[in-house]
Amino acid sequence: MKTIKLDKNPLKLVKDVLNDLKASPDLGIYKCVQCGMCASICPGASQTEYDPRDMIRRVLENDETIIDDETIWDCFSCYTCNSICPSGNNASEVNQILRQMSIEKGEGAQKIKDFCAYGDSFMEMGIGSIPNEFFNVMVKDVGNKYMDLKVNIEDIRTDLGLGNYILPKESTDEIEAILDNSGFKVRLEKIKRCKK
Amino acid sequence: MKTIPDKDILLFKSCLVNVEYPGVESSACYIFDKVGVEYYVDKRQSCCTGLGHYYDLFDQLSTTALAARNFHIAAKTNHKNIVTLCATCYAILKKTVKILNYNEDARNKVNTILDESGLPEMEYTQDDMDPSKNIFHIAEILFNKRDEISKYITVDLSEFKIATHHACHYCKVHYNDTIEGVREPNLMDGIVNAMGIDTIGWYDHKRVTCGAGFRQRFTNKEISLAVTSEKLEVLEDKNVEILLHMCPNCQMQFDRYQPYIEKKLGKKFNIFHLNITQYIALAMGADPYSVLGIQTHTVPIEPLLKRLKQKYDLKEDNRLKTLKSV
Ligand code: SF4
Ligand code: SF4
Ligand code: SF4
Ligand code: SF4
Repeated sequence: MKTIKLDKNPLKLVKDVLNDLKASPDLGIYKCVQCGMCASICPGASQTEYDPRDMIRRVLENDETIIDDETIWDCFSCYTCNSICPSGNNASEVNQILRQMSIEKGEGAQKIKDFCAYGDSFMEMGIGSIPNEFFNVMVKDVGNKYMDLKVNIEDIRTDLGLGNYILPKESTDEIEAILDNSGFKVRLEKIKRCKK
Repeated sequence: MKTIPDKDILLFKSCLVNVEYPGVESSACYIFDKVGVEYYVDKRQSCCTGLGHYYDLFDQLSTTALAARNFHIAAKTNHKNIVTLCATCYAILKKTVKILNYNEDARNKVNTILDESGLPEMEYTQDDMDPSKNIFHIAEILFNKRDEISKYITVDLSEFKIATHHACHYCKVHYNDTIEGVREPNLMDGIVNAMGIDTIGWYDHKRVTCGAGFRQRFTNKEISLAVTSEKLEVLEDKNVEILLHMCPNCQMQFDRYQPYIEKKLGKKFNIFHLNITQYIALAMGADPYSVLGIQTHTVPIEPLLKRLKQKYDLKEDNRLKTLKSV
């Protein structure tokens, strides 16, 4: 027998999603008809257990366990779902908002901890860069020529008539100040401190 | 049909173009100079945070505040038409303009951040930028100039079988602003056709993502490369020889990983990867090393050049030899 649970605030999760800064004003989550078009073309769904249609259903049903569901981390942020949805919904955007909720709660922070070096490099140079561990894997996969390229990039750029890509000190100071006042610096430190 | 500018352009530097395929930028400049597109590059411009944004590392407010700083640079230098070399920047910048225009609360927060950072002159006023009229992807500019471009073609590239990979973050994020097709993208095909060359047009998987998936390439390599392999296999079945790109991230996924995937699958894909800017510059007679920057590619472009009537001084096995090696 099915038990009916009365929820005091049955639309809390969907409202939180819609109120997020990331949510486009025309995000059509309420209009979702559960047609499954998104899931049918989703690379995340074809390769993993992740299912964008089901993710949307759970948000609409106020099932907050979706925030801690590992599968949301298997989305490719390719927006194919967005381009195909007949109802003007955007599963990609909803996914990104759920991930932010997960990061806020703490669990999600572990998922992105390894990417922190990108943030450090951004504050230092005004440009992000591939974190070392990942870069080393790339060198292994792509070959030593990839390393040679990185070592010689300045000279190659000079040959191409391009200038220095690292921002002037004045600009990196501005960027650091902005990221300090926007709360990003604190956010980054918090993510670094989270336990795996 | 949206109006596409050919002047007052801030050519937006891309972090991945900078260090992976810098030849994309030099090729863009080469084409712009030939066909008379007025542009400017500013060394103060920061990266859009794109990759960090989709690693979920950056929060939307920080990304938006940094965008406001870049918009200020564009406006102050009278180059308000931002043209990106990367599809992710295109989508990120468009989104931040939209937020700054419709969300008063976010705009106030961003302005407070700028004030607190001692940069009150950078404050954003509603509608300073227009998401549809000020933010473009370079492929749109090239499409708009396709007839002009066709007049400068000196190198015959017609013998190759060509397919296009339209970046998702151009086509599918702000799809109302996408020109030449969303579900059946033909923007780059249109440019190539205007140069008097056929592409294979539609193919299964034409609109499928490259598989990079931002974090997936690093944290879930197998599934990321499975998506990439599928697309390569479809292209191989069609005997495609050149895959054209419009985003350094997709180009990386295919070019850097093609040999790795070949080894895994025990088969050979004879597919060259070129950015649309590199392809056009090559057709216009540009030097493969000092303009196209093919020395930074993983799948060598020299075998392609050897098949051309045009003769080049190829540096095949010592592409980086004159330089340091580690
Ligand atoms: S989000 Fe769109 S495509 Fe996906 S199930 Fe709902 S209506 Fe269908
Ligand atoms: S962006 Fe959409 S289509 Fe792409 S992986 Fe995520 S849910 Fe699937
Ligand atoms: S969007 Fe492109 S250029 Fe911008 S930060 Fe990202 S990868 Fe770099
Ligand atoms: S194809 Fe891949 S890298 Fe290119 S825009 Fe799409 S998701 Fe990004």
